[in-house]
This record gives sequence, C-alpha cells and structure tokens, in this order.
Amino acid sequence: MEELKVQLVGFGVIGQGFAKVLLRKQNMLTEKYGLKIKVVSISDISGTAIDEKGIDLKKALKVMEEKRAIIHYPNAKEIKAIEAIESLDADVVVEATPSNIKTGEPGLSHMLKAMENGKHVVTSNKGPLALKFKELKETAEKNNVEFRFEASVGGAMPIINLARETLPGDKILAIQGILNGTTNYILTRMTKEEIPLDIVLKEAQEMGIAETDPTYDIEGIDTASKLVILANALLGIDVTYKDVKVEGIRRITPEAIRLAKKDNQVIKLIGEVRNSKIEVAPRLVPENHPLNVDGVLNVAMLECDIAGKITIIGKGAGAIETNSAILSDIINIWRNCR
Amino acid sequence: MDMRISLELELKDKPGQLVNALEPISRLGGNIVSVVHIREEIKGERVPVHVIFDVDNHGRLEKILKELEERDVLISKVGEEKKKERISIMLIGHVVDTDLKDTLDRINELGAKVVDLDLEMPHPEKESSAKMNIEISEDIMKKKVFEVIEKIAEEKNLLVIKSLEA
Repeated sequence: MEELKVQLVGFGVIGQGFAKVLLRKQNMLTEKYGLKIKVVSISDISGTAIDEKGIDLKKALKVMEEKRAIIHYPNAKEIKAIEAIESLDADVVVEATPSNIKTGEPGLSHMLKAMENGKHVVTSNKGPLALKFKELKETAEKNNVEFRFEASVGGAMPIINLARETLPGDKILAIQGILNGTTNYILTRMTKEEIPLDIVLKEAQEMGIAETDPTYDIEGIDTASKLVILANALLGIDVTYKDVKVEGIRRITPEAIRLAKKDNQVIKLIGEVRNSKIEVAPRLVPENHPLNVDGVLNVAMLECDIAGKITIIGKGAGAIETNSAILSDIINIWRNCR
Repeated sequence: MDMRISLELELKDKPGQLVNALEPISRLGGNIVSVVHIREEIKGERVPVHVIFDVDNHGRLEKILKELEERDVLISKVGEEKKKERISIMLIGHVVDTDLKDTLDRINELGAKVVDLDLEMPHPEKESSAKMNIEISEDIMKKKVFEVIEKIAEEKNLLVIKSLEA
C-alpha cells in the first residue's frame, strides 16, 4: 500500500466536499490502485488541525457542522495555513480557499509556498491563476513539482486534462464555451418563462444557485477568470484577467430573448479565446448548436488542428462534482511520481 | 473566399459531352452546385447548359476554363455571382431614441444591407431590443461592419450581441 500525504487548505464547500469524496472513495482507491490518500492537516481561517497518522475526516466534518471552524477539532492549533504548508511534511497541497480576483490571496501565497517547499499543488481556486498563471507555472517547474487545476474550470467537466492528456498531439486553436452555471441557469429560465433577469436572479439566490453577491457571475468575471486559465494552459497564450474584454448578462431582457427565439436562436454567455481575441459576451447561439446546453450545465468546444471540433458538457459546479476533478488531479500526480 | 461561378456552355448533343465538360471542373477543385440543360434553347447542333460551381481562387478558375476550351467545350458566358452571407446581430438599449435610422444608414453605407429588422419595445423608458439580419458579400466588409456597429454601440450606449461565428 502506497501512501500519499495531503494537506487541505480551505475547509468550506469545496474542502468539505473533498473530505466527503475521500470518505466515499477510500476503499476504491485501495482496491484499484493500492493507494491511500492521507489528509495530514486541514487549515481554515481559524487554524489548523494536524494529525500525521491521518485526520479523522468524519470527525472534521462533524466539527464543521456543529462549530463551523476547524480550530474545534481535537488538538487543533492556531497556526495559519501558510505556516502549516511550510512546516509540515506532505506530498500534495490541495488549495481550496475562496477565489479572489483582485489580489489572488490568500490562495496565491499558499500555492507558491507549497511549491517552494517541494509540494505538488492541486487547486480549484481560479483567482490566483487568472492573475499570476505564468509565475505559478514557472515556480512549479523550478521546484520540480506538479501544478494541477482541473477543478478551477468547469467543475467536473474534464476540459484541461482532456486537452493535455488525451489530445497531446493536437494544437488547440480556439475554445468557445459556457463556463458559468449560474448565468446559464438564469438565461435558461429567462428563455423558458420569459421573465426578467432580476426575478430569476432572486429565485436562483433562494435555491443557492446564485450567491448573495452575484456580481462575479452576472458581470462575466467568473467566466473571464476561467477563460484566462484555459488561454494560458491550453493555448499557451500569456494573458491575465486584465486582458479580457468582458460583458456580462445584466442588460439581457426577456424581449431580446424573444427576438432571438423567433429566429430559432438563444442567448448564452459565451467565453471565447483564440490567438487574436479573448472575450466574454452574450452571444446568439442557434438552438440546434452543441453549445446550447441548459440549466447549470457547462459546455466547451475545443477547436483542434487535427481532431477538428470536440465538445464536452458537464456539471460546472457542486461540492461533490468539483471534487471529481481534484481527485483526478491527485491520482494523476501519484501516477506520474511512481 | 469562395467565388460562385456561373458558366453557360454549349455542348454537342451527343452522349458523353456533359461528363466531358463537368469532369475538369470537379477535378480541378470546383464544387458543382447545379447543372441545368436548357433544351428549349437548342442552337443548331448544340445544347446550352448552365453550370454553377464554387471555386476558392482565380488560379483554379483559369485552369478550369483553359481545360474546357482544350476539350472543345464552347463557353458562351462566364459570370461571377457574389456569394452573400447573412449575419444576425442584436442591439439592446434605447435603440429607437438614439436614431435608429442613423444606425441603419451607417451600416448600409458600407455596402452591407440590413435586410430585416425586428424590434421589441416593452416601455418607452425601458431598454428595447432590435434584431437585424445583415447581408454582406465579402470577408473584408464583415470586419468593417462589426467595427462600425461596435462604434455605434459605444456612442449610443447599446449592448451588441453577436452570433457565434462572428
């Protein structure tokens, strides 16, 4: 049995989802790969739970349910994530703190510190990548560690690994896609029910699909961040969030949607990258086009130089679904290191 | 960009003549769209045939015409039909109040043609939506059309929604 020691940084929705998925998958990992993923520390804003023999994930989840801070885990210490990354022994750091598109922090420092300490990094956190992709990539290379971020784009939809590992002989020329489930849900509801955006938005907030402050989603900021990651990782274009031309869905009206419908078209928030442009904007999409997917689904169409167009559709969010991507990244790191 | 070529040929009214005329067109890269015999206009021993095909450059077209001549196919007329593309675009904002006529004129001035306009105005104070179909005939013009529309949109505070291919 091989062991892989993981430090989990950030214990919110995604971090707790990671713990749940590990609990669910541990037997499978043992049987199929002979691998045990051992979480040696969990950090959140309150402190760090540490156990070299492996944290009791059930207990950690219970602590969060009851007291909402990891500091209440037995013998947890008031040390910050960054210190835990520096001082504890581990193979991989899973960075799952909230995304910050202004500074990238605290995720950015966590990732850099992990790499400098020879630890592989797996993350779902878009902000640091949208701002400092090049620096992160170069730091990983310099320290000879892997940097994986499948979960940062499209949740469970395996777009990055698909392009890199399944299509290594193709050049990706362009990507068009719907990369934000919240806005796609809103536009879908507006199309089906012909009701205004602010009403659908309230409904989405009540259902937990949209956040209390929906600005990131509605204004296209979230889509733009993901697009930057794809541009860097798959097209090799050195861009940051500031280079993206962004227009959100705030001004879309039921009337506009109705006009589109008359011509068998729908309005979707599309992120597009090709070497001359990187843009997020509402676009007219033919009803029978592969990019016309409904609800909270995400979709991406890769234009490859040999394979032509390839489209993948999947769940773009969700605590459990997103952890499919995190788990895949961890397993791949383990495979590559053997 | 593809050119659409319209050829009027006069073929001998004998078996095998049509194949003789069409074979070089497709072999040299022409994509045949339509072939029509005009039997009612038979001139002496020859039958007029109207062939329409797409070809992607002048060099290819020249080769096709040369080979047809070598094969004793009489070409009575060669014409290029401008291939037209239709693009959809939507504008959201105070489309009418910001001088809709000016918007249309400035697009039409480029040689593009707004062939269809569909408008929804929910309330005088609310933003309205306009969907246009614009017919354009060359690639270069398409870029220009988009540039002008973006400029108009910026001046008049309109949101432009382009189609996926744009």
